[in-house]
Amino acid sequence: MNATLAPAIDAAAAEHVRTPWSEFWRKFRRQKVALVAAVFVALLVVVAVAAPWIVPYDAENYFDYDALNAPPSLAHFFGVDSLGRDIFSRILMGARISLAAGFISVAVGAVIGTLLGLLSGYYEGWTDRIVMRICDVLFAFPGILLAIGIVAILGGGMANVIAAVAIFSVPTFARLVRGNTLALKHLTYIEAARSLGASDRTILLRHVLPGTISAVVVYFSLRIGTSIITAASLSFLGMGAQPPTPEWGAMLDAARSDMLTAPHEAIVPALAIFLTVLAFNLLGDGLRDALDPKIERR
Amino acid sequence: MNPLPRFAATTLAAIATAIASLVIAAPAYASKDVVFAVASTFTTTDPYDANDTLSQAMAKSFYEGLFGFDKDMKLIPVLAESYTVSPDGLTYTIKLRHGVRFQDGTDFNAEAVKVNFDRVTNPDNKLKRYGLYKIIAKTEVVDEYTARVTLKEPFSAFINDLAHPSGVMISPAALKKWGSKDIAFHPVGTGPFKFVEWRQPDYLKVEKFDGYWRKGYPKVDSITWKPVVDNNSRAALMQTGEAQFTFPVPYELAQVLKAKTDLELVAAPSIVLRYLSMNTLQKPFDDVRVREAIAYAINKEALAKVAFSGYAVPADGVVPDAVEYSVKLGPWPYDVAKAKKLLAEAGYPNGFETELWSAYNYSTAQKVAQFLQQQLQQIGIRTKITMLEAGQRVQKVESWPDPKTAPVRLYYVGWSSSTGEADWALRPLLASESWPPTLFNTAYYRNDQVDTDIKGALATTDKTEKAKLYRDAQERIWKDAPWAPLVTEELLSAHNRRLTGVYVMPDASFNFTDIDLR
Amino acid sequence: MTRYVLSRLAGLVPTLFLIGVLVFLFVHLLPGDPARLAAGPDATPETVALVRKDLGLDRTIPQQFVRFVDGVLHWNFGRSLSTKRPVAEEIAERFMPTFWLTVWSMAWSVTFGMAIGVASAVWRNRWPDRIGMTLAVSGISFPAFALGMVLMQVFAVDLGWVPAVGNDDWRGYILPSLTLGAAVAAIMARFTRSSFVDILGEDFVRTARAKGLDERHVVIKHAMRNALIPVVTMMGLQFGFLLGGSIVVEKVFNWPGLGRLLVDAVDMRDYPVIQALVLLFSLEFIAINLVVDVLYGLINPAIRFR
Repeated sequence: MNATLAPAIDAAAAEHVRTPWSEFWRKFRRQKVALVAAVFVALLVVVAVAAPWIVPYDAENYFDYDALNAPPSLAHFFGVDSLGRDIFSRILMGARISLAAGFISVAVGAVIGTLLGLLSGYYEGWTDRIVMRICDVLFAFPGILLAIGIVAILGGGMANVIAAVAIFSVPTFARLVRGNTLALKHLTYIEAARSLGASDRTILLRHVLPGTISAVVVYFSLRIGTSIITAASLSFLGMGAQPPTPEWGAMLDAARSDMLTAPHEAIVPALAIFLTVLAFNLLGDGLRDALDPKIERR
Repeated sequence: MNPLPRFAATTLAAIATAIASLVIAAPAYASKDVVFAVASTFTTTDPYDANDTLSQAMAKSFYEGLFGFDKDMKLIPVLAESYTVSPDGLTYTIKLRHGVRFQDGTDFNAEAVKVNFDRVTNPDNKLKRYGLYKIIAKTEVVDEYTARVTLKEPFSAFINDLAHPSGVMISPAALKKWGSKDIAFHPVGTGPFKFVEWRQPDYLKVEKFDGYWRKGYPKVDSITWKPVVDNNSRAALMQTGEAQFTFPVPYELAQVLKAKTDLELVAAPSIVLRYLSMNTLQKPFDDVRVREAIAYAINKEALAKVAFSGYAVPADGVVPDAVEYSVKLGPWPYDVAKAKKLLAEAGYPNGFETELWSAYNYSTAQKVAQFLQQQLQQIGIRTKITMLEAGQRVQKVESWPDPKTAPVRLYYVGWSSSTGEADWALRPLLASESWPPTLFNTAYYRNDQVDTDIKGALATTDKTEKAKLYRDAQERIWKDAPWAPLVTEELLSAHNRRLTGVYVMPDASFNFTDIDLR
Repeated sequence: MTRYVLSRLAGLVPTLFLIGVLVFLFVHLLPGDPARLAAGPDATPETVALVRKDLGLDRTIPQQFVRFVDGVLHWNFGRSLSTKRPVAEEIAERFMPTFWLTVWSMAWSVTFGMAIGVASAVWRNRWPDRIGMTLAVSGISFPAFALGMVLMQVFAVDLGWVPAVGNDDWRGYILPSLTLGAAVAAIMARFTRSSFVDILGEDFVRTARAKGLDERHVVIKHAMRNALIPVVTMMGLQFGFLLGGSIVVEKVFNWPGLGRLLVDAVDMRDYPVIQALVLLFSLEFIAINLVVDVLYGLINPAIRFR
């Protein structure tokens, strides 16, 4: 560890470079775990993009009924599933689907939710009431019911799963940001900005939003995992990815019945989900520490 | 501050008290209490208003019918002693068993038969099994122990209808007391057990009825019916000894339960036929060569191995063996070369794209659907799978109003003839009158001779004539191939070795007349 | 404050009405005919017609809506389409198992989660933090049904310490509440940590420290109050989620609660049950949110309600 060395260098560097980006990078690269997580996420993205060209077997159409449920081997790194397919190839192809589902749905939910939360926390009054009523209504509809409704009305498939997951991310982000905004707007620096005649827009975007960003980033990273698991639960209810789509959650769910006789079928997708969520969480923590201006090393 | 130790002490005390109360609450004598772990919650205790096999099987605890099926699905008299049919096939005279009492102490007699049949045949009571009994024109009391039932038209499967698990005798006194609706919460019958308590999602409990007419029965003191939805949890319950009998055992867990020394795994034959229906009104399935090609392309042995862990046998006809008048015609051979040739002849040398729907979305069905997709891929037929959820199934298949626009193409589904005879195995699935939304002819199959055969068989009481007609119908259907018949599955149950006399019948109902716990 | 609470309570009526209208429309938009589903797989058309009449589904949509609203106003939610029992009875029976499971899960997970969170923040980037956050991350990334099955296999089947299913006594609560609470504990731990780290960096905390107050005093007296705001928000949300019944956990442990009731009702298109459940969940959520907002004010008097 060169933890003793780094501060000195950084302190020197800080004299010259003051752009926000380099400031962020300066703090971020000090966090080894977060860096590893970032590399892992980057790798995942590469795998997701390149999957069709690097898989050893066709993820959906290759099968071998003589090797049903076979454990991992040299021919099949992660073993064979209950329909004779190569789990390694399916996991690689699944990275595409699971990542897209997790990321897009949360991104959509976070953007809408954050905007609503900012407005409602800052203006309170009628805006607040209307936004919070909408949140109440959205919350009140149990997720599965909402998802079934969306799929029933729009038709099945992954795209609608993403829509459903995005919709029930909205109120959570909204409430979270609203709570933070309520607390922030009474802090001295915001009061100061207001008394200096800054417009609402400036205050919201320049002063309040950065103050809420750490909570949003942390929740964003948590939410990606939740979304991947939610997508899995939907597959479980017949509302998500249709077989034989190698969505990780669907794979885990399908392995449920074979869990006691062929545990590798469940362990592999569970590990894939676990590691992905872990990486996003660690990355989120790293980003948070680097983004938050209030945090200095202790 | 140290609130923690005090909290710990209180918790410990609470735990100690709880353990003590458990010990004291343990029964002082060894009563024979049996727990059945089953797969879904009961919809009702009234068999006339039930549509699921499980609720009807459970209702056998307190109800019995005039006739019934033994564990091999053979028709036997229960509360009836014998019956005679008039030559025109319209009037059934039924002699009843003497000395039978309902659990409320009242006597079972011909009046009870009349009350029950009058109840179900009255459309105002809106019972779900009305369709099965609407054939009855009137029921009369001839004397105390003789009842006469007159039908609207000859219906040779009538005694099978009476043996159907819904056709039970409910105490007229109880019916009068609770009314036609609330009798479902206060069932009173002539069966071996009397109803104790129904905690809806949790359990239904029955206990020994001392006045049961079969002397010396039942041999256990109580049965608790426990619905446990999750497959793995149900298997866990058997292993922990919290239940003594369970059905169904998921195929994947058969090996695991088999390895347990105190459990016995039973694979029983069934009348559940699994098949792939093809919409014969639509291209390319209107061409019999395409349908045959699909039937040839599927390796049924491999299907049994992959999706059913070997607990299924390739279907050898359109009606399963255990059903009366079934004819053995197959199994349909597996021949990829021939399948490709037939496809080419039909004008699809490179295959085509189509939809493959499954009527269910549980894990075995998912495996079957994907297996079928893999097999069809080999002859160039590319399919898009949709696992239908119950509501979608009803909307997109069962109640689609216009046959010409029906979106169903390849459809994986199963069927068991709940009355145990050929009529209910053929008519709802293959007669042209049964196209959705009427019944379940999802292949939109029409063969006029088959229609005539099915109708003729129903009208005659002559057994050889019936057998001839049903044989002709089945052979024609096999030749026309509206379905690719897949497998007949086996019914897997497990019971504790101390438990005897509980059987899963071919229609997935239970027989537990001889239940005993050693 | 009282005025605020009263106005929120008054706002509850239109919200609930809106939800009622939405859920009514929603269930009728769901594909699948409940009469056909209730009549069963081998029902003939006339049986379906009988069932439809029996269930009151032969009336027009507006008539059904008037009947529904009228029923709700008279505290009568109708009868379940599948069991034919009064919906209120059906829900009442399932409410307590879910409620107690929620309470126990929240109790252990909030205590545990907050303790980990505070410890992690105080000893940031040192071993309590690393262990705590590893636990938290694992808790959130393991799907509940897998966790439930593993726990059941190990503690019920292999070791035989607790029953596999059933809520007859306290032992039945152990595994389901562990499974249900794991994710909540993880979320609470992460949130508490993040919130505390923020606050510990604030000026007033530094000032307190600079004044020479000892660390425990700083954490408990100064940081706790401000750090609790987002934590309380999250706690309220989680409580509401759990009270809605966890479908997966209730299924794995065969828990006779609201989550399973809802799934069954959706499967069977049991309109009255879905409608009543959604109204109940809404009411719970609004109530919890109101409590959370009031708590904000109590914890941090700087927030005023207008």
